[in-house]
Amino acid sequence: MATTELTQQGAARDAERRRRGRLKRLLMHLGLIAFGLTMLYPLLWMLSSSFKPTELIFKEPGLWPTEFEPGNYVEGWTALRNPFHHYIFNSLIIVAGAVLGNLLACSLAAYAFARLNFTGKKAFFAIMLGSIMLPVHVVIVPQYILFSNLGWINTFYPLIVPKFLAVDAFFIFLMVQFIRGLPRELDDSARIDGCGHFRIYWRIIMPLCTPALATTAIFTFIWTWNDFFSQLVFLTDPDLATVPLALRQFVDSQGQTSWGPLFAMSVVALGPVFGFFLAGQRYLVRGIATTGIK
Amino acid sequence: MTRSSRGRPRRAAALLAVVSTAVLVAAACGGDDDTDPAADDPSPGEATEGAGDDEPVEIRFSWWGSDSRHEQTQQIIEVFQEEYPHITVVPDFTDWESYWDRLATATAGGDAPDVMTQEERYMTDYANRGQLLDLNELPVDLSGIDPLALGGGQIDGAQYAVATGVNAFTVIADPQAFEDAGVQVPDDSTWTWEQLADVAAQITANGDVFGIQPDGSNEAGFKIYARQHGQELYNPDGTLGFEADTLAEWWEIQLDFIESGAAPSPTELLEVEGPDTSYIARNQSAIATAYWTNQLGALSGTAQRELALLRYPGEGENPGMYFKPAMFYSISSQTEHPEEAALFVDFLLNDVRAAEIMLTDRGLPANVDVRQQILSQLPETETQVAEFMAEIGPGLSDPPPPPPNGAGEIPAILTRLWEELLFERMTPQQAAEQFVNEANAAIGG
Amino acid sequence: MVSTKPVSAPVAPGDVTARLTRRRGKSVLQKRENRAAYLFLAPWFLGLALITIGPIVASLVLSFTDYSLLESPNWIGFENYERMLDDPRLHNSLRVTFTYVFVSVPFVLALALALAMVLDRGLRGLPFYRSVYYLPSLLGGSVAIAILWKIVFGTNGLVNQVLGLFGFEDLPGWVGHPDYALGTLIILNVWTFGSPMIIFLAGLRQIPHMYYEAAAVDGAGSMRRFFSITLPLLTPIIFFNLILETIKAFQTFSQAFIVSGGTGGPADSTMFYTLYLYLRGFGAFDMGYASALAWFLLMIIAGLTAVNFIASRFWVHYGDD
Repeated sequence: MATTELTQQGAARDAERRRRGRLKRLLMHLGLIAFGLTMLYPLLWMLSSSFKPTELIFKEPGLWPTEFEPGNYVEGWTALRNPFHHYIFNSLIIVAGAVLGNLLACSLAAYAFARLNFTGKKAFFAIMLGSIMLPVHVVIVPQYILFSNLGWINTFYPLIVPKFLAVDAFFIFLMVQFIRGLPRELDDSARIDGCGHFRIYWRIIMPLCTPALATTAIFTFIWTWNDFFSQLVFLTDPDLATVPLALRQFVDSQGQTSWGPLFAMSVVALGPVFGFFLAGQRYLVRGIATTGIK
Repeated sequence: MTRSSRGRPRRAAALLAVVSTAVLVAAACGGDDDTDPAADDPSPGEATEGAGDDEPVEIRFSWWGSDSRHEQTQQIIEVFQEEYPHITVVPDFTDWESYWDRLATATAGGDAPDVMTQEERYMTDYANRGQLLDLNELPVDLSGIDPLALGGGQIDGAQYAVATGVNAFTVIADPQAFEDAGVQVPDDSTWTWEQLADVAAQITANGDVFGIQPDGSNEAGFKIYARQHGQELYNPDGTLGFEADTLAEWWEIQLDFIESGAAPSPTELLEVEGPDTSYIARNQSAIATAYWTNQLGALSGTAQRELALLRYPGEGENPGMYFKPAMFYSISSQTEHPEEAALFVDFLLNDVRAAEIMLTDRGLPANVDVRQQILSQLPETETQVAEFMAEIGPGLSDPPPPPPNGAGEIPAILTRLWEELLFERMTPQQAAEQFVNEANAAIGG
Repeated sequence: MVSTKPVSAPVAPGDVTARLTRRRGKSVLQKRENRAAYLFLAPWFLGLALITIGPIVASLVLSFTDYSLLESPNWIGFENYERMLDDPRLHNSLRVTFTYVFVSVPFVLALALALAMVLDRGLRGLPFYRSVYYLPSLLGGSVAIAILWKIVFGTNGLVNQVLGLFGFEDLPGWVGHPDYALGTLIILNVWTFGSPMIIFLAGLRQIPHMYYEAAAVDGAGSMRRFFSITLPLLTPIIFFNLILETIKAFQTFSQAFIVSGGTGGPADSTMFYTLYLYLRGFGAFDMGYASALAWFLLMIIAGLTAVNFIASRFWVHYGDD
């Protein structure tokens, strides 16, 4: 009898704890959703405006369109010199190259900085960091002259080739920090097994760095996709224009901007970036389930 | 190691190889029109100095605008290329703000476009630093150009730029808003600044729209006011040509509108982006004083009403309004094909077919004959503009001289000081004196 | 894995190379490691030599010249640097930038870390929340941001409408007011906290489970686990985010440019350092001065970064120590 009483009390306490836990979780979800909606308001506004006729966007700035105008999407798609997917395609080429280049070159450099000791390491590390501290506007003109001498102006080369040469030191630094978080025992056991540096890099460190690699890929994608200034300067041929350049063409600060199509195409332009993020997210989930030491 | 972890790196390597090749191939394809005539030294086979008109030549033409202008310009280029099949015109266009960065960088890199669109605030800098050619020495026919427009592109007798067309800075009024408020639209050939203030106050009191959307940041507005008082923004010799008091007065007039409630509040005014987000275009103001005649189309298009063009107050006594070159065509001194570039500029200015496509998008055409010929084809708002400009033209005094070097900084200085005034961080007198100091520093260099 | 070091050796396991180096200077092993390192760094060296160094050195040289972009540069020595001492608009831009950095960076990091921790708990719908909080970062430099920010912070925008419900009337616009415009940009930066949050999440995910498993065996509660395992092991990532967010904040350009319409207004209240630099270089044909400004900025950032690195020795724990 005492045991059943105790069990009953225990069961009641458990149920109470579960209820409180559920309430806490519910509140947490509500909080997160409310916060999320506040965060998303500007985006929701842009989405809703993309379905309003241009004249009404600023006359009726509420969130709900009174007149529905899906034609903005068609107009935006076809208004420019080329259909909009042409610009998306251009951007995708550049971005694909940039992502690949960064993943390869930056991870190689990061391994050296994180795992190896070599003469001049500190100096090179400082130079590596220093290279991201100078604003682009003062190097763009010398860069332009450099690329012009190579005949690369009006090609995608100035936007892709540097990535294969680890110019984006941000990601070198990112991966250095991630790699340094991995215990050295892994390297050592591999070395005892007879692995050289490259195999340690390729077989052990890189697989364990999947979150860092995914982060690099996602950020490179987004930053390259949105990189307006370099694309403006290096690509003057209108057929080579990328998404940011194309979006600018809807803007007319002196006359009538086609706001409806601009917002519609901005929404469309978010598609590939967001899609890539969603795809890459999965790799952020995959962490170190096993230690890899076996 | 498990089998999957051994296979994964190998598969990854293969994938890497395939994608890299694809990307490099695509990147190479992205740049097959690698011919950049201005980039390298002229090779002996290139046509220069009129030797052999029929060798294929490529020239680059740059302009700013929105996609409607881009489309029109492409059409004009096609007509030109049909007429001169050996000349290919490569387009180079972007929006207004980005245009100057691209132009400056390309010029610095030796890649300036052969024919470029210019604007008065930067034209002098480009000309005085040797980047523009004197069009008097090229086969461009300037005889048909409106003399009122030619002066704007002349420095020391050399014609570095030709106006594409002319605009006027003017007052826009919404007749329906006047009617709704029960106020009569005043006679714009006689009205004064005090009358403007009265009308604005009345409309605000009677109706539910603002009487006026003023502006103290546009130098064109100040130029008009200064000229009405016998002064100028710039003297022909490149120095400042006005007294600080005049500037302070002009600002005070604008600030009074805001203080009296006839105009929107300071932050509301600053939030206006372009004509299509203006108060008058949103049917929330009866008058606007800071737009150009070629913006009438955008304004009434967004407002979805017929709007009226009025002269500035005070014009009846001492006219201050002027025809401004909307933009210019110039030829780069880096060009390797000056003859062909000149042909193209001549076509843009004088050929009726170009004007028929462009209409008044770049201002009312500078060539007077061409202007006459296209009058019948203009849409309604543009006919309105053409008539207005024909009406006020005879009453105007000589246009202002081209701005000096460094004039590109003046609009920003004026805007910044206007913003200080809006938030009462300075008095108009202080702001006017500071403007004089900063403007002198900018153009003195 | 059991370490097989002899009991008497004073050196930690895995420190074979260090031991050899300490005893003999540059040993064969060290040389081999050097070679390996240089091979790994080969793309970076190439990039440095071909693409990075040239323009950087050029900009340093240009900082000693008067360069209008339209004419060749002429040498003027230290004049540009001297000019910086007397330039009130420059001093204003430093004030604006430093305020921005020291206010927005802590907020961004704190919010990013807090939300990463909340989301890492294995909450249901994690991918959904992660995407929602990340979306704003995608819009960061877009043309549409200027409009969106006006819609929210304008005189008749969302914020004022909401405040109006609480009885506040006649509120000014925030984005167009010189006293508040910078604040709206700080909020814009905080709005894009999704980026560092993702990095924190990645860092959290990379903490080897074996540590948590060991702690659970020892009976440690979640608080204890956080402070003893998560936080210390996350410090390299926190450090990284701190450095990068600071550098990014000092270099803020697009947001200020787009929201202020390229003017740094109203009344220079959003005239960030790089915006001022850009306006001098491209707007006023004063690229020599702009280059000098850029190098001064680099020195500021480098100085702060060095300080951060030195301080990091006291609070950052690396797994390879």
